[in-house]
Formats: sequence, structure tokens, C-alpha cells
Amino acid sequence: MKMPAMDAMELIGSKPVLDTRLAVLPSRATGWTVVGPGAIDDSRSASVAGASALIEVNSVSMVYRNGKGQEVQALKNVSLDIKRGEFVALLGPSGCGKTTLLRIIADLLEPSSGSVQIGGLSPRENRLRQKYGMVFQAPVLFEWRNIRNNVRLPLEIMKVGKKEQNRRIAEQLDLVGLRNFSTSYPSQLSGGMQQRVGIARALAIKPELLLMDEPFSALDEFTRERLNEDLLDIWSKTGKTVVFVTHNISEAVFLSDRVFVLSPHPGRLSSVIDIDLPRPRNCETRESPEFFSLVSKIRRSFEGACSPALAEE
Amino acid sequence: MKKSDGISAIAWTVGVVAVWELAALVLAKGLHDPMAASKLPLPQDVAATIAREGATLAEAASVTLSKAAIGFAIGAFVGYMLAVLMSVSRTAERIAFPYLIMSQMIPVLGLAPIIFNLVRNMDASRIVIASYITFFPVAANSLSGFKSVDLEKRQLMHSYATGLPTTYAKLMLPFSLPYLFAGLKIAAPMSVTASILVDMLGSKSGIGVKLLYSLYGGAMDVFWASVLVSAAMGILSYALVLLVEKICLPWEAAAIASAGRAE
Repeated sequence: MKMPAMDAMELIGSKPVLDTRLAVLPSRATGWTVVGPGAIDDSRSASVAGASALIEVNSVSMVYRNGKGQEVQALKNVSLDIKRGEFVALLGPSGCGKTTLLRIIADLLEPSSGSVQIGGLSPRENRLRQKYGMVFQAPVLFEWRNIRNNVRLPLEIMKVGKKEQNRRIAEQLDLVGLRNFSTSYPSQLSGGMQQRVGIARALAIKPELLLMDEPFSALDEFTRERLNEDLLDIWSKTGKTVVFVTHNISEAVFLSDRVFVLSPHPGRLSSVIDIDLPRPRNCETRESPEFFSLVSKIRRSFEGACSPALAEE
Repeated sequence: MKKSDGISAIAWTVGVVAVWELAALVLAKGLHDPMAASKLPLPQDVAATIAREGATLAEAASVTLSKAAIGFAIGAFVGYMLAVLMSVSRTAERIAFPYLIMSQMIPVLGLAPIIFNLVRNMDASRIVIASYITFFPVAANSLSGFKSVDLEKRQLMHSYATGLPTTYAKLMLPFSLPYLFAGLKIAAPMSVTASILVDMLGSKSGIGVKLLYSLYGGAMDVFWASVLVSAAMGILSYALVLLVEKICLPWEAAAIASAGRAE
């Protein structure tokens, strides 16, 4: 016999991290926060007051020269805050600078102007302290290492003891459901499984921050949806702060607490959308009218704001 | 997969021997060529000579082959270290690479006597020439390996804040191994050839000496036996590199096997 009250209790019992995190977050009923072009300079416009920000991006601009020597403005005056434990998506079409922004946070790129603070540290200090895990679009596994030794790589580099290495590898491979493949080589795994290994490797160092650069965009729709659900499950168990870059609107809505929508030419923050769908989210979430209405709202904002750019692609 | 490999190897060997036998028979019996035995002797005659001369052939082969192996090892080490150096520093690459190319312009046939005149020692000459021949394909292939490391793998290491030594130990060196072995596979038979070439410059021992003396002395059966042994040495050197590659790079075999399954 199934009782609704029991379900609720189980939910709280099995997902304590998620639950406390929800309590810390401010009201989700606000819906949209549309940031007009004039308001972008205000760094607090994209943040929610009162919560502790892990990442503060202040008026970041990025200009680089393309092959013809022309200046390209990849990012213009982007300011946003990301709270501790929050799952946010950077969403936009190609050329909107979402990956550039992620790479600036990861200290793989340096901004032309503006600043980024991560827990009070510069991106460089944060990287040197090995405080984030990164998942790329490609799995970026080392072909010569089997699965367990791929997960071991960052632990070796960080000089974690052998016993602890093995414990964490087992833990992470359990988490992503690949325990039985620990001695396989990457080439023996499917694309989706390889990407799971990439996630396990990023989580093995127990980072506070997980940076994901279109991690599922090379996968088919079915695999992607399953991995989305698995990722939320992992996130609810680990309570990391996740910054997730994607060009897929429904993926961004399904995963995130907040979606930062970026527009191209030049890359800029065009709106911030609170996703107030209840958690845990599952396949039923995808069927809900609230989900559809959020997806279509975001889609309409794109077509209104930058249809010529989209038509080009 | 393994079984069909074995079958094709047997079929291949049988085919070569059959064609050889047929051609030799046509030459001797069909065309009544008086020089048939020296132009193309019957395979069983050559086999008999190898059996008869086995001890001396083996001794000669081991002299040539052991020096080739030492030279090969030195050349491979130097070549790989050069590639590492050139991959670490663009300046080093710009300075060294023209010399590498130039070194390949000098014909070994001309270089060998010069080296011999310098070192005045047959064994040392064999080793120097074999390593000289080896280092270029190893350096060039390994360098292209270092340059093929994908950007994202480097960025991953960057995200772990690794220094140069760790990046090389964990990423660059293992990544370059298949390229290194590609170079080694080219270089191994070449180093054997180089060692044979030095034999011919007036050495007293080695398979090259056997080739030369039997050719000038008219001992065509010994000549053909020596040719066959030389060829076997080249093949053996290649097969050894292949074997070591298989042992050192088990993931390559796994990749090939799973690619085969996917098709």
C-alpha cells in the first residue's frame, strides 16, 4: 500500500542534501527576471539578494582577434552571480559566448576586462587549488588508461593516498553506474558511458564546483535525457554547484535552478530565468505544462531578440 | 580474428614458395638457362644450403644483428629525446629541425666510410650508422605525436594545475607512444640494412661479408642463403618491435577490436 505521506518522508530521508539546499534558496515564485540592455551594468541584476554567492562575475568582456585580424567581441559586460549549491545553465546559440564564459571561470581563458571571483578567489587561484572539476563536450578520456585509472588520474596528480584513491574510484564508478567496467578501456565503451566516466573523474577530486561544457551535446536524444536525470540524481546526492553550458533549451530548463540566457554578436546576458519546477525532476517533469511553458518562453525570447543571427546558422 | 590471421600467414608463405619454385623450374627446365642456379635457385636448394651452412650463417647474422640492435636502441633513444626537446621548446624545434632534414640528405653509402675512417672500428661503425639511420624516423614520428595531443586533453591537465613534468609523464609521453612505435617499425629493418652495409665496407665478419664474398667467389648457393637470412633478419626486427608494441600498448588492440565490432 502506497501512502502519499510515506512518499514525502522517503523523499526527505533519501535526499537530505537536496532538501536543505532548497530551504536555503530564496523564493522561486518570481518567475522571470528580464534584464534589459540598459540594466546589464548593474552586477546585482542577475543575482538574488541574500544568498551566498560562490561565483561572482563582474562586467566581464572578452575581445579576441579572428584569423583576419578583426576584433570579435565574444562577451560584452556580463555580470552574474551563482549561489553555492545552485545548478545553473548558460544557454544560448553558437557565438553567444557561453563556453567562453565557462572557460574564463575555469581559468582556461583570461577576460579582456572585468573580474571573476570564486569563493573570494580569482579563477587562477581557484584553479591552482584544484577546486573545480571540468567536464568537456568530448569525454577527453586517456585511451591508454582503463576506466578506473582514468578516474584515478586527478587523484594521482593531487597525491591522494593509494587506499583513498581506490575507495573514491569505487565510490564514483558506483555513482555513475559503471562499476562493472572499471577495467575496460575507453574505446570499449559507448559515448554515453564515456561521458559518465568524465563526470566520475570530475567528481573524484570532490570539487565544490562542477563546470560542464555542453557535456551531452554529442549524444543522441535518448541517452541525453537519461544522463540528464542521472546528473540530477548525482547532484542531489553530492550538493555541488554546477555551471552547465548548453544550447538545448529543454535540457537547460530540465536541469537548472536558474537559466542565464545569452545572446550573440556580441555575446551578452539577455535574461535570467528562474526555473520553479519542483524537484526531484523526472520524465514526468518533461511532460508537465509548466515545463513546456518555460521552454516556449525561452524559445520566444530567442526568436524575438536575435532571429537574424539564428537564421544564419 | 587470431585464427584467420594464422591461416592467411600460412597461405601467404605457401604462395610465395610455390611461385618461387615455379619460376625457378621454368628458368632451369623450360628456358634451359645455364645460369639458372645463380639467377634463381630452387627454394629447396637454398634451404639445404642454409641447413648446411647454418652455424656460420647464424654466427655472421648475430654479429650484424647485435650491432644493429645496439645502434637501433641508441638511435631510438636519441630520436625520442630530440622529439621531447623539440615539443617542449619551439626554439629548440626551429634550431634542430633543419639539421634533422639535412642529416637525411647525406647518403648513408657516403657517410659510412667517413664514420669508419673516424672511429676505425667495425663494430662502432655499425652501431653509429644503425643509430644514425634510426633516429630520424623516430624523432619525426614522435614529434608529430606530441603535436597531435588534443587541446582538450591539455586543457584538462591545465585545469588540474599540473606542471610540465607531470603533464609529460601523465599525458604527453603515453600519448606519443603509438607514434613512437610507428617510427620504430620503420627504423628497425633500416637499422639492419645499415649494419649490413657497414659489413660490406671491409669487415671480417657479419652477414654482409658473407653476401659479398659468396657473390664474388661464385658460391651462389651461399649467396642466396645469405640473402634469405638477411631478409629474415629484417622481418625479425620488425616482428620484435610489433611484439613489444602489443605488450606495451594493450589499449591499441582493444580499440581495434571494438572498432571491428562496431562495423
